[in-house]
Order: sequence, then C-alpha cells, then structure tokens
Amino acid sequence: MGKIRVLVAKPGLDGHDRGALVISQALRDHGMEVIYTGLRQSPAQIAQAAVQEDVDVIGLSSLSGAHNTLFPKVLEELSKRDAADIPVIGGGVIPSEDIPFLLEKGVKNIFTSGSSTEALANYIQELIDPKTKEMIPPKKIAHIGIAVKNIDHALPFYTGALGLSLEGVEKVETEGVKVAFLKIGESRFELLEPLDENSPIQGFLDKKGEGIHHIALEVDDINKRLKKYKSENIKLINDEPKKGADNSEIAFIHPQSANGVLFELCQHLGRSED
Amino acid sequence: MKESTNNKAKWEDQVESIIKRFPERKEKFTTSSDTEVKRLYSDESNEEIHKLGYPGQYPYTRGIQPTMYRSRFWTMRQYAGFGSATETNKRFRYLLDQGQTGLSVAFDLPTQIGYDSDDVMSEGEVGKVGVAIDTLHDMEQLLDQIPLDKVSTSMTINAPASVLLCMYIAVGEKQGVSLDKLTGTIQNDILKEYIARGTYIYPPKPSMRLITNIFEYCQEHVPKFNTISISGYHIREAGSNAVQEVAFTIANGMAYVDAALESGLDIDAFASRLSFFFNAHNNFFEEIAKFRAARRIWAKIMKEHYKAKNSKSWKMRFHTQTGGSTLTAQQPDNNIVRVTLQALAAVMGGTQSLHTNSRDEALSLPTESSARIALRTQQIIANESGVADTIDPMGGSYYVEELTDQIEKEVNKYLDRISEIGGAVQAVEEGYMQREIHQNAYETQKKIEKEEEVIVGLNKFQLDEEVNPDLLKVDEKLEKEQVNNLEKIRKQRNQDEVLKTLAELRESAKNKNSNLIPYILAAVKAYATLGEICNVLRDEFGEYTGA
Repeated sequence: MGKIRVLVAKPGLDGHDRGALVISQALRDHGMEVIYTGLRQSPAQIAQAAVQEDVDVIGLSSLSGAHNTLFPKVLEELSKRDAADIPVIGGGVIPSEDIPFLLEKGVKNIFTSGSSTEALANYIQELIDPKTKEMIPPKKIAHIGIAVKNIDHALPFYTGALGLSLEGVEKVETEGVKVAFLKIGESRFELLEPLDENSPIQGFLDKKGEGIHHIALEVDDINKRLKKYKSENIKLINDEPKKGADNSEIAFIHPQSANGVLFELCQHLGRSED
Repeated sequence: MKESTNNKAKWEDQVESIIKRFPERKEKFTTSSDTEVKRLYSDESNEEIHKLGYPGQYPYTRGIQPTMYRSRFWTMRQYAGFGSATETNKRFRYLLDQGQTGLSVAFDLPTQIGYDSDDVMSEGEVGKVGVAIDTLHDMEQLLDQIPLDKVSTSMTINAPASVLLCMYIAVGEKQGVSLDKLTGTIQNDILKEYIARGTYIYPPKPSMRLITNIFEYCQEHVPKFNTISISGYHIREAGSNAVQEVAFTIANGMAYVDAALESGLDIDAFASRLSFFFNAHNNFFEEIAKFRAARRIWAKIMKEHYKAKNSKSWKMRFHTQTGGSTLTAQQPDNNIVRVTLQALAAVMGGTQSLHTNSRDEALSLPTESSARIALRTQQIIANESGVADTIDPMGGSYYVEELTDQIEKEVNKYLDRISEIGGAVQAVEEGYMQREIHQNAYETQKKIEKEEEVIVGLNKFQLDEEVNPDLLKVDEKLEKEQVNNLEKIRKQRNQDEVLKTLAELRESAKNKNSNLIPYILAAVKAYATLGEICNVLRDEFGEYTGA
C-alpha cells in the first residue's frame, strides 16, 4: 500500500495551531502524507477537503471548547458525502468527561494534551493498515548464543565431536565480544567470548558460568516491532536497533518480559530472505 | 566612577521626590531577623553599573520605576470571561471583591474575529473561551456597576479592537466618566495574530491603518489608555524560545512605531502609550534575564534609533502571564507550583502587571476556586515572600547579568535579520517568524518525547490513575440566549441610524487619510453589531487568508 494520507484540520474559529503543526510534521516524519487545512475551517469544508484529497484518516484539533458541537458536525458532513468510512480522530484541550460523548458520536479516538506523536503515528498506522498490527512472526531461530571462556578451547567440540562447519570468527568491538559462527541447518550457534573485563559476556560468565546466553530470532521488521513492543510495555534492553555482527541490526528484549530468556531480535540487512 | 556617582545621586533625588507623593509600603523594610532591607543593592566600584542604569533610569535594566514594588505592588490582573456578559460581570465583581486590582476581559472567538453570535461561523463557539459581545448592550451589562474611572480594564482584542474600544468609551460616557479618566489597555497587536494566535480578519496593511487610527484618536481623546499591548506571550505559547519571544515582539513593536511615524504622528506623542505583554515560562533565571534584557533593548531602540526625547517613550512597560502551554492536564494540582515559579520570575523581572494561570487551564476555563488560588499565589508572593522589598534583587548576579547580556546579543541578531527581510510586516507575510517558531516547537516536542526534557507527571513521575477535577462548564443554552438577545436588540434599535452610521463608516474606509474611529464610535452608539461593523470593513479591506 502507498503512503497513508492524513488530513489535519482546525474546525471552528480556534487559532491555536501549534499542536496541529507539530503533529503534521511528526506524521510526515513517520512517512505519511499530511494535508493541513489551515485555520477556521467549517465542518463542510473539512469533509469536502477529505473527499477531494482522498485521505485515509482525518485528525481534528480544537482548543476552544467547541469540540462537542464541531466534531460530530464533521462526521455528519462526511456522511452527506458518502464518506463516513473515513475515520476521524480528535485532539486538543478536551476534558475527559467529553470523550465518551465524542466516541459515541463516531469519533474513533481522542488524543489529549500530553499524548506522544509516536503513539499517534502508531495508532494511525494500525488503524489504516491493520496488517501492521498482526506482524509476521519471527521466521526462524537465527542463532543460539553460547557464552564461552575461550573460543579456541571450545571449538573442537563443535567442529570435531559435533562435526559442524565453522563459518567465521568476528570481533564486535561495540559489544566487547568475539564471535564464532557455526552453521546448523537453517540456523547457527554463536560462541561468544568476552574481549575484556567490561564485556557483558564476562558478566554472564562470572554470574552463571559457561552456557546458553541468548536466543536470536530472525525478523523483517525490527523497527516496527520495537515500537510496538514499547507501546505494549514489553521491557526492552534496546529501544532502538543497533549494529550487530554479520551486517545485521539487533536489539535485545529484557528477560523479565520473556520468562527469564534473553531474546535477541535480529534483522539481516540486504539479505532478509537468506 | 564619576558617572555612576552622578547617576546614583540622580536616582536618589528621584526617589526622594517620588516617595513624598507616593510613600513606600512600609517605613522600614526588614528581614525576619530584623536586618534592614535596603531599597537597592549595587556595587559602586563596578563599571558594569553604567550598562544597567539605576531603577527608573535609562536603559532601565533594573526596572522602570525608581522605587519599584517598594511603593506599590504590580497590578494583579486576572484574565477572565466566559458565557454571557451578565455572568462575566459577576466573576469580575467577585475578583474585585477578592482584592484584584484591575480587570482583564477575555472575549469569545466570534467576538475576536468580528462575527455576531448568530453568524454561521460562530456555531459552537459562542461564550466558550470568553464573553460574547455583539452590541453596546452587551458591553453595558459586562461593565455594570464597575466604576470605569477607578478600575483599569485590559481587553484581549485585536482585529476588532477599535470596535470594542469604542464600546468601552460609550459605556464610560454613559457612566458620566470623562474620557481622559478612562484607563486600560487594548491588545490591538495584529502582527502576532498572523504569526501565532490566529484571530486576524483583514490583511496587514489596512490592519496597520486601524492601529495607527487608534493611536491618533486616543492620543487626543483617551490619553490614559494603552493603545496597544505588543505581545510576545502568544509567540512563546506557539512554541518559540525566550530569545525569539523578545526578538519578534520588539520587531513587531518597531513596525507599529514605523507605521505611526509614517502616518505623521510624532514619536513622543504616542510612544509612551505602547505597552508590552510577555510570557513567564519555566526556566527561572533565563526568564528573569529576558525581562531585563527586553527593557534594555527597547530603551536603546527608542532613544538611539527613533530619537525619542521624552524618557517616557524609552520605558518598556509590560504585563506578564504565566505560560499556559507549560501546564499539564496530568496531575493538575502540580500546575500551582509551576505557576508560582513563573510568577516569581515575572516579579523578579520587574513586571508592571501579572496574570497567574489557574491549575485547570490545560483542561478547560478555570473554575472559581482555581481562579482564586491563582490570585492568592500572587498575593502570597507579594505579601509573604519579601521579594518585593528590594529593587531588582537579581541585579549583579554573575549568572543573571551574563544571561541578560546574552539574550540582548541574540535578540539583536534576529532584529538585524528581520530588518534585512524588510521589517516585521514583510517577515510575517513571508512566514519567516512562523517557520522559526514552528521549528522550535517541533524540536521541543521531540525532546519531550525522548525524555531529554522532563515534564513532571507527563513523561516522568506519572500516576497510574488520574483524578479528574471539577471543571467549569459553559452552559450550552447560552448560545441560544445570546442569539435571542441579539435579535431583540436588532428589533429595538433605530434602523435608519444604524444604516446611516454604517454607510458613513464605509465612506471613511474608502478614504485612506480618514480616521475610522469616530465613525466606528457613531455606529457603536447606534447599536450596530460588531459583525455589521466588521463586515463593512471586510468588504472594503478584504480578508487575510494566511501566509
């Protein structure tokens, strides 16, 4: 599907458009196409613009207290134009006791003062493109990370006794770790050796000794997934993806949110079908 | 050294003559430990003293009056208005009974944009953010039993300022108050409406004409009225930073001065009636420095650039309101604390009058109890904290003086840039200031979302369950009542007189050299409606549709 098209509108006479302008820019930064009506639009003008511009969603902003009159009018005007299917959301200075009335009138949702633009963008994304809500599950176990004191000492068991083939050894300085990759079916083992005292792997070894450190899941949508998890209050170690080994972007989910298992999300760049 | 000694002697002379007429609040000011609090603390050996000026002396860094709050506190002026004129009149009289010392009228949006309550554009907005005024009759009710020779009134009205001023004059006449006794302020600052607030009607050029017409008329007939309140408040609310607030406000101020000079007025004839309006935001010391810097910059511009001779023309007098957009809908009682800090900064910065916001303003118009706490906040600062007992208590602070210098420097850079563009009117038309403000607003929002800026209760220290406070509700029936009343007035008035005065107003509008105010006053007295008057001018001047 193409870019989501949003009409941001100021119904009535209210001249406060700081919020409307900030939201317009934030949605643009989230890759949406935003049409801002400017000030003093009548409900009929807003409905007309929505139809003409063929938008996916309408955002109404009001800080003057006229929302109970004007928001339902916009919905009426949309119905008159057979455009009642365009969802309308609202924001501004809207007392919480007015929200049930507006929702009952058909407004999809109200975002009041203090809402984050991030939450708004995600909401619109899911509202318009419900597929984004049902994310494709992780495709496979990308690897299982095993903490070892010394890769050279550990390798003979994997390559000899198990007979797996060694794909390579890489130093990931940012993580303070040296990694050996061993292919097994469509997956891998990663042997992790600390590079120095400050390495998280060293911390793990000190606490638990050698053993399974984490399980990595291959995903296609690491950014979206992290945003979604964040909004669902799943505890993350990394809010944003960071660079991992083998041209990948990775992020860890906190074991507290995953039954004591440290999960890594990883997305291989440019070879996601690998 | 010599200069400073002279200045000090001059200041002392001024103080002596002033306190003969207006004695200080107390014979002796002391701390709780009985240490005497001096009128002013300064360091005579410091050469920097020349740059600051003594209180009441050019360039007024330390304040525009020689004794500041030692004589009289700032005017406590709470902005109020909602629903009908009768209802608002009740709130005004309540606030005056509670010790408020000036009125400040909030108008509803139809009034601010020159629409009658029965106009289709007014639907849903009548009486919502302020009081609805359609005709002189509403103004008479609004000011019922309020003696206009004793109470000063500030009116937040811009595009139709001339009409509301004329209504105020007409009520004054009916009360038998002579026009030279009327005191108050009309906001009348159209440039910031284009930039930040949005209640414009006409394009910039005819709007500037209306403003200079008011300057001219008032200078002659209503000499004690402040004819404009050049407002940075809304520029800040729209998302600017402190430097931009001062810079764009002063640039607008210069545009009004230029327009008045161009229309043939003498600088010293009108400059002393220009007043300013700033925001008191969160960063405590920066705000104090901002007020001090703004005074100094304006004084220099008036003296050096415009060559004003009367020292009254150099003095920047300003009203301050605490920052509405800093208030949170979450845990609204926390807003009382924010307002206290902001109000304290305004007082330390030497404001002439102050509005303190109510805790519930991120949710709706204030309830009576919230409005009372807001007023009490000022009264506590004035009467209990002791900060008003010495002049410019932050003067000489290394930090505040450096910040003051820095703001002055940065503001001047902006002023140069705006002057290169061709002045504030041109910059507004090109959308320059609008873009600068929006950029800053967006950056601020991102910082809040990334938690680089902490807003207590919003992105940190949240509560799981918010308590919903009682909010003020404007009765939905009001719109209908207001429309019915308007209909009644339309029937009762002398129709011929209305048509005649409106026709004469139209003729005056066509003639660029004519002053519109006497014609507007005549129409107002004939009970022509605000909408009728503004529509005549809409026809003649056109409407502004955005940069």
